[in-house]
Amino acid sequence: MLCEKCNKNPATVMYKENINGHVKSFALCAKCASELTEMTGYGKSVYSQGDSLGDVFENVNSLFGSLFGLPAQQVRRQTGEEKKCTLCGAAFAELVKEGKVGCPECYKVFAEELAPTISRIHGTGVHMGTAPERYKEGRERKEKIAELESKLKRAVEAEEYEEAAKLRDELRKLKSEEGDK
Amino acid sequence: MLWYEMTGKENDVVVSSRVRLARNLADYPFGGRLNEPSALEIIEKVRGVFDGASGYSFTQFNMLSDTSRRAEADRHKVSPEFAAKKTPTALIESDEKQIYIMVLEEDHLRIQSIKPGASLSEAYAAALEADRMIDGKLRIAYDEKLGYLTHCPTNLGTGMRASVMLFLPAITATRGIRSLQDQLGKIGLTIRGMSGEGSSGDGCLYQVSNQITLGTTEEEIITKLEKICENIAEKERELRRKYFSDEKFNDKAMRAYGTMLYAILMDSVEMTKLYSDVRLAAALGMIDGLNVNVLDKMLICGMPGVLTEENENINTPTDRDRERANMIRRVLSGNAGA
Ligand SMILES: [Zn+2]
Ligand SMILES: [Zn+2]
Repeated sequence: MLCEKCNKNPATVMYKENINGHVKSFALCAKCASELTEMTGYGKSVYSQGDSLGDVFENVNSLFGSLFGLPAQQVRRQTGEEKKCTLCGAAFAELVKEGKVGCPECYKVFAEELAPTISRIHGTGVHMGTAPERYKEGRERKEKIAELESKLKRAVEAEEYEEAAKLRDELRKLKSEEGDK
Repeated sequence: MLWYEMTGKENDVVVSSRVRLARNLADYPFGGRLNEPSALEIIEKVRGVFDGASGYSFTQFNMLSDTSRRAEADRHKVSPEFAAKKTPTALIESDEKQIYIMVLEEDHLRIQSIKPGASLSEAYAAALEADRMIDGKLRIAYDEKLGYLTHCPTNLGTGMRASVMLFLPAITATRGIRSLQDQLGKIGLTIRGMSGEGSSGDGCLYQVSNQITLGTTEEEIITKLEKICENIAEKERELRRKYFSDEKFNDKAMRAYGTMLYAILMDSVEMTKLYSDVRLAAALGMIDGLNVNVLDKMLICGMPGVLTEENENINTPTDRDRERANMIRRVLSGNAGA
């Protein structure tokens, strides 16, 4: 989706304006969003140490509604009143209203509801960077499994059955380790 | 030592480099959903991690005076938003390693390292060191697809914001910031003026940082920013040689320098304006022996928070302007060229 203001850059921010109870929303690129906040005088702290863009986005959210595209009422209809986060107790409608996520667990509980927002901000990529120690082993195993699987596919295609059998055993072992976790 | 007390690489253009990692504890709510007992619990846990770690000190930050909190923000050790918070906050810092960990800023933890000049990789290495210390002892919120989980989804993934503060008087004067902004936007970077974009009173200081945090590695972000900042610096130098190496600018800058050396009263708007001209002249070698980092130190020490913290006898704006002029003279005379 392209920015509705400049029609040039990809839209990354949902900008909402409430004029006398009449809510208008625009999908904007980072640049146009930051210009808008600049105009309204926010995100301008002198020698600001804060993240330039992060803060601008956050100000946009708290001031003009939310980063989450859908109006609260529509969300309620879609998700039902019942679903609440198991750790912080928030319903998705509350996250929409607050423009922020309630706790780490919310990302699991509302994974589906949050997905469009996340891909609007970051695109469709998955995390590639560093990980906490306790996840590293699992991650290395996953990479190894993916590598063995593609090797196996090639071995089968080349009709190297002895090699394929060996790879299959290795894969089975790794996958059972994964299951143990 | 604080970043502005040191001389950094490429400092004719690059003022400082900063890396910030957002981290959260897996078992606690974020921000407004965190009650005070839990907030204090988090502070205690983080304090425990650094208890006895050499070089680090702990401060219950919200207990400091308004002036001291403001001063730490002026020194770029903490964010202005963090300095403004009245709810429980803590700062774990190491001036020696140039690591500042804000506890209960927007995220539970914001690990930040700021270094002089072009030193993003060094700043990242420092932040990572603190991150590893915390990771070993606390359960950090993380998801295999989304990476580090953060209060605001804009920080998901690496949780990393890397930024470089650039001094760009020549690009500013030739009205190049706009087009720079457009170009950077296309590659997921952003540039922002430090004090109200394009206004003539600012110090021509800009912050270039990454916008996307998910789907890319920390190293990729750092490398890209480093490369781009090198290109911007080259452009800036080229324009400086072309438009600012004449006698006319030299005269203007020396007059500005004279004002710095002899003024009795100096407000912060004037200081910032003079800073820009004198820093540019110093970078071009027009002022014998004046190192640009002395001017950066002057700018930070002239910020209202730092000035008020370091001078107990400031009661009126005029007192402040007098102390500022005194400070400028002191800082410059500590320098060989003055
Ligand atoms: Zn736009
Ligand atoms: Zn939650």
